[in-house]
Amino acid sequence: MSPCADIWTLYRVIVTALSRLTFQISVLPPPPPRYTVPVAYAAGASNGMAVPVVETNNIISHPEGGCPLQVGEGTYLLKDDLHLATPPPHPSEAPIVNPNPLATVPTPPTSGVKLSLLNIGPRNKTPVFTLKESVIAPAFGDGNPALAAPAVKEGIKRRKPKNNILKSSSSFVSRVITHEASTKRLNDRNPEGLFAFANINRAFQWLDFSSKQKDEPLAKILFTKAHMLSHDVNELTKSAAHIDVALGSSAGDILWYEPISQKYARINKNGVINNSPVTHIKWVPGSENLFMAAHANGQLVVYDKEKEDALFTPELENPSVETIKSSGRQPLQILKSVNSRNQKSNPVALWKLANQRISQFAFSPDQRHLAVVLEDGTLRVMDYLQEEVLDIFRSYYGGLISVCWSPDGKYIVTGGQDDLVTIWSLPERKIVARCQGHNSWVSTVAFDPWRCDERNYRFGSVGDDCRLLLWDFSVGMLHRPRAHQASARQRTSVVASNSQHPNRLRADSAGNRMRSDSQRTADGHDAYDSTVRHPVEPRSRTALLPPIMAKEIGSDPICWLGFQEDSIMTSSLEGHIRTWDRPREGINENYNGHVSSPVISASAPKSGSASAIAESAVGSL
Amino acid sequence: MAGSNTPSSGPTPAKKEPPPPPLTPLEKMLQEMGSIREDGSDKFFGMENYGNTCLTAALAENLRYPSPNAHLEAEAQAEKQKAANAQRPGVPPNQPQKPEDKDSPEYKKKMALQTLPLLETKNNAASYGMSETLFTSLKDIFESVVGSQSRIGIVRPEHFLDVLRREHEMFRTAMHQDAHEFLNLLLNEVVANVEAEALKQPPMEKALPSTDSSDSVEHSGSSGSKTPNTTRWVHELFEGTLTSETQCLTCEKVSQRDEIFLDLSVDLEQHSSVTSCLRKFSAEEMLCERNKFHCDNCGGLQEAEKRMKIKRLPRILALHLKRFKYTEDLQRLQKLFHRVVYPYHLRLFNTTDDAEDPDRLYELYAVVVHIGGGPYHGHYVAIIKTQDRGWLLFDDEMVEPVDKNYVRNFFGDKPGLACAYVLFYQETTLEAVLREEEQENMDAMAETNESVKQNGSAQPSSLNLVHSASHIPPPDEPVRWNSLKRAPTAPQLTTHHENTQAESMPSVPPPVPPIPETHTRPLSPKKSDLQSRKEKAREEKERKVAEKEKEKQRRKDEEARLKEHRESQRREESELKAALEASKASKADEDRRNHDSSKDKAGHGLSRLKRGSKSFSHRLSKDKDRAPSSGHPVATVDEHPPPNEAAPSQQQQQPLPSTEHPPVSRISKKHTIHEDEQDSLKDPKHDKGGSHGKWRSFSFRKKSFSVLS
Repeated sequence: MSPCADIWTLYRVIVTALSRLTFQISVLPPPPPRYTVPVAYAAGASNGMAVPVVETNNIISHPEGGCPLQVGEGTYLLKDDLHLATPPPHPSEAPIVNPNPLATVPTPPTSGVKLSLLNIGPRNKTPVFTLKESVIAPAFGDGNPALAAPAVKEGIKRRKPKNNILKSSSSFVSRVITHEASTKRLNDRNPEGLFAFANINRAFQWLDFSSKQKDEPLAKILFTKAHMLSHDVNELTKSAAHIDVALGSSAGDILWYEPISQKYARINKNGVINNSPVTHIKWVPGSENLFMAAHANGQLVVYDKEKEDALFTPELENPSVETIKSSGRQPLQILKSVNSRNQKSNPVALWKLANQRISQFAFSPDQRHLAVVLEDGTLRVMDYLQEEVLDIFRSYYGGLISVCWSPDGKYIVTGGQDDLVTIWSLPERKIVARCQGHNSWVSTVAFDPWRCDERNYRFGSVGDDCRLLLWDFSVGMLHRPRAHQASARQRTSVVASNSQHPNRLRADSAGNRMRSDSQRTADGHDAYDSTVRHPVEPRSRTALLPPIMAKEIGSDPICWLGFQEDSIMTSSLEGHIRTWDRPREGINENYNGHVSSPVISASAPKSGSASAIAESAVGSL
Repeated sequence: MAGSNTPSSGPTPAKKEPPPPPLTPLEKMLQEMGSIREDGSDKFFGMENYGNTCLTAALAENLRYPSPNAHLEAEAQAEKQKAANAQRPGVPPNQPQKPEDKDSPEYKKKMALQTLPLLETKNNAASYGMSETLFTSLKDIFESVVGSQSRIGIVRPEHFLDVLRREHEMFRTAMHQDAHEFLNLLLNEVVANVEAEALKQPPMEKALPSTDSSDSVEHSGSSGSKTPNTTRWVHELFEGTLTSETQCLTCEKVSQRDEIFLDLSVDLEQHSSVTSCLRKFSAEEMLCERNKFHCDNCGGLQEAEKRMKIKRLPRILALHLKRFKYTEDLQRLQKLFHRVVYPYHLRLFNTTDDAEDPDRLYELYAVVVHIGGGPYHGHYVAIIKTQDRGWLLFDDEMVEPVDKNYVRNFFGDKPGLACAYVLFYQETTLEAVLREEEQENMDAMAETNESVKQNGSAQPSSLNLVHSASHIPPPDEPVRWNSLKRAPTAPQLTTHHENTQAESMPSVPPPVPPIPETHTRPLSPKKSDLQSRKEKAREEKERKVAEKEKEKQRRKDEEARLKEHRESQRREESELKAALEASKASKADEDRRNHDSSKDKAGHGLSRLKRGSKSFSHRLSKDKDRAPSSGHPVATVDEHPPPNEAAPSQQQQQPLPSTEHPPVSRISKKHTIHEDEQDSLKDPKHDKGGSHGKWRSFSFRKKSFSVLS
């Protein structure tokens, strides 16, 4: 950090501190005493690594001419770099005195900064693609009367969590800092502006990206015992007066947080249902109450935000040795089915996928499938409504870290520890291409729906190599026969014919699961058999896709990537949130979020040319 | 022979040791370790054999294979310690040991009580029919470890170091040496030694260890063919071929040159992965300016493009991360603390088009870690994956089990100056990996199952009732899980006698069959009528209340019975032990069975490592000539672990030679006579009675648990 930046920082700190002084004294307990810099930092310094400055305020900077992303459609310009402050350790947490490098005490998991973005606009800004299956999938848990939501009368205010976080005496929540003008800011803001929720270390911040004071969080929660690893906003229930956020922590505890009223509730309190870290959390699409959490011990758990916890007992009707024996092979063990009649308390459903960490999962746009990636290197495509695994694909090697669906639900893209981004086709149930370009593990992959159409797809990936890569691929390209592809095609077709079509399985009624023991066991075997385990395709038979753009965008690993209508955003391990404006001449003339015309279709043809380039590149590989 | 022996060495640790549950969190493990150590550490973890046997299985059918490697890592570390004292497996003595000077001979001697007499490590060179070299001294260490009766201990590689110092001046000083250089030196030296010896005197197997006459006899028939391969084993493990393609930019002619390598040294970049470092290793390089290429075609120095690709993939890929880089400014080597991530599995992207098996899957099994700020000082430790006990940290005398995630602490970005320096990847197959995962899952499930039951009894719910009906009466099944889990904390008997009894019993074929039976559907009374039981389950749901009472009743009964048995339980503790062992064995057996059924052709073993070794032996058996060569060291392995170990695996996979082999070794045992081995001789006789008693004690055990819970 340059000296002048330091001075500037100092100045800002003083000014903000002064400006908040009165407020803090009146409302909040005094700030904790001086923090000592943890020894770990000092050790970092002797390693020659940058020492994180103990800084309690976010810093926004506008690097001049910094880091343009040049792609076919134009140049993405870096708008700003918001550096979230890493909170100092809680005074009660003893700093690591002796950083014994061989200490075998496992360090609690943490995660880099991830964002949950939220637009409370009247209109859904994400382009909607017509899905192949026009049949609307039933809601999760449909058909189980025990889960039928009590009819909510229209117009009635949404239920809020019970506890006020500001007055909380919980040992879990250390303190909450709200902006002194948060109410005013909320009232004055552009209703279509972008909210963001971000975790950093033990803090969780609520930011308003449309605000001029982008760097000043509307609220900041500091936790005592755990770091928030993942969070998600419910798209269905969002409104100007209500936002449902689910936060999953490294302790396994989950928070349902409503930022506008500053209320919260704790779910899976003290890990009563599952005490392993929540690695990923998502609201079940189309559900007001249900969200799904992936735990590090390989369990996927569906919780209801309004239900109480109960000590969980696996509802194995027959915990016999056979089930146990076969469970090692089963791709999914249903420890509690969504169809269970016992739905008075959490969890709503609990599935065990493996004994390894679930890295991430993603719901398909058709709200029927679930793609789950695990540390064991598998991508498991589930029909989560039927609670069964349809396909198991494997990474080239190493664990998989991230997963996402193409906007039309036809393709799944994963990133992993093989430094590859891999494209899988859902309808063809096979690998489509491996994308090589990262120099380290791929931490997030995401499609850019504004640059996708029926034939061409744009997606991006970020990784531990501090780089952002953009990729294009087109349907035409994928069908181009390559030297070895003839044989590959044949192989996969064999696989496909062996496999039972998922639809056939869907015909089975959910009632099957409530059958008696022997049939149930048989069911289990059926499920086992119906899962197609795909072999790892050798390199020589798989298309290799190069990126259309690769750029090192920071000096620390990038851990999150998101596309917005007007921008690309990334966040990094140490808290840098970078925003690039899309090329002006393209989609968006006035980018401040005021546009409401359906520009999506206009953008689509443009991507054609870019992908054509990629296409030829692939052909030559 | 090699084929039959290897599998038998595989199961060894599984049976021998009471289960330190591999999945339990580290703290718990440490606690358990502590308590057990006080009881008598002989009952604990087989660190020593462990490190080696696992490597044995991992690396080769040949006993000698592992030695270079195990010691490499170990020794490499030792070198670092200026004192040049070597480490080796020791107990996991936590704090107490650290304060004591690791180098202090008194301390070592104390520990060495549990190990072999140093005599054995001294000089067996003559018995190998070789003159004293690094190789023989290494082999001495290894053999002494294998020969050791205890499973933990410390080896003093004094002799090895003496030889090392004698032959290599650089090690005579207290200077800090580089682990990678040492690895190189050792591998090359061993190759050289072996080759030299092979030239000198072909029939090596005749010179076989004096300890085992029967084995050498056995092998002598095929001995003649051995010689050619004996010199090759290091190569077969570590050696790969690199092709450097150089294209002259003037005449466009591509010239190729093959080079062999034993390990790859890769340059590092900040925030990269091993994968990417390997790719960079094979990236095109311009030869220009002072570094021009002499082109034979156009004659003279020309600019050229050069790239190195891997043509033949090694079985063990040793990756040296170049953490020490010369910096011009400082005029010295500097350590790079770049964050370089390494996955548990790896494939190579930089292979030539004609490479055989270019998609070969590798698995990380050892990491050598350098701790320290620079290349001229510091400390080395090794983290090694064992066959079925997870990962172990070897830090001089200290050996500690660590979590799998621990392996990822050395990317270079953590405080404490510890970075991975050499990575060892060994070839494996997806099937093997899958099997290992399956195993893990099953272990986890077993735990889950247990917790189900515990929960169930703790707070009955309607659902619990359903299975509690079947849960209560059967004494056997729940016990099994309980016993598995509790074994480490349970009171241990420390005498050798019992120990071996326990070990030997399960391995004898007869007792095994009954065990799986009980597992398949052990819930005894209703065992036969599954169907009706299910229906009953439903009814029970409806008659919840009635059932609840019944259940209470049952519990009371049980408790009463339990009290009665407590006394007898104590008396029968020894039997109990046996039972625990049996359950372990049965589990192992059952697992194996599962594997077999799931994968007929590949179902040889519990774990991947073993499978790895299997594939070696396959190759060897294809090549008749090779087998014998590996046979002779293996024979020594076979001698030390009780012979019974071979039994279960033979049962399973019947490699032809195995059937005849075990009897032989059993007989040979009569000569070698260790206490325990004698016991193991008996076991065939009393296995039936033993299993009986075993199961009885099981039920007692179970009751005590239910009270506890």
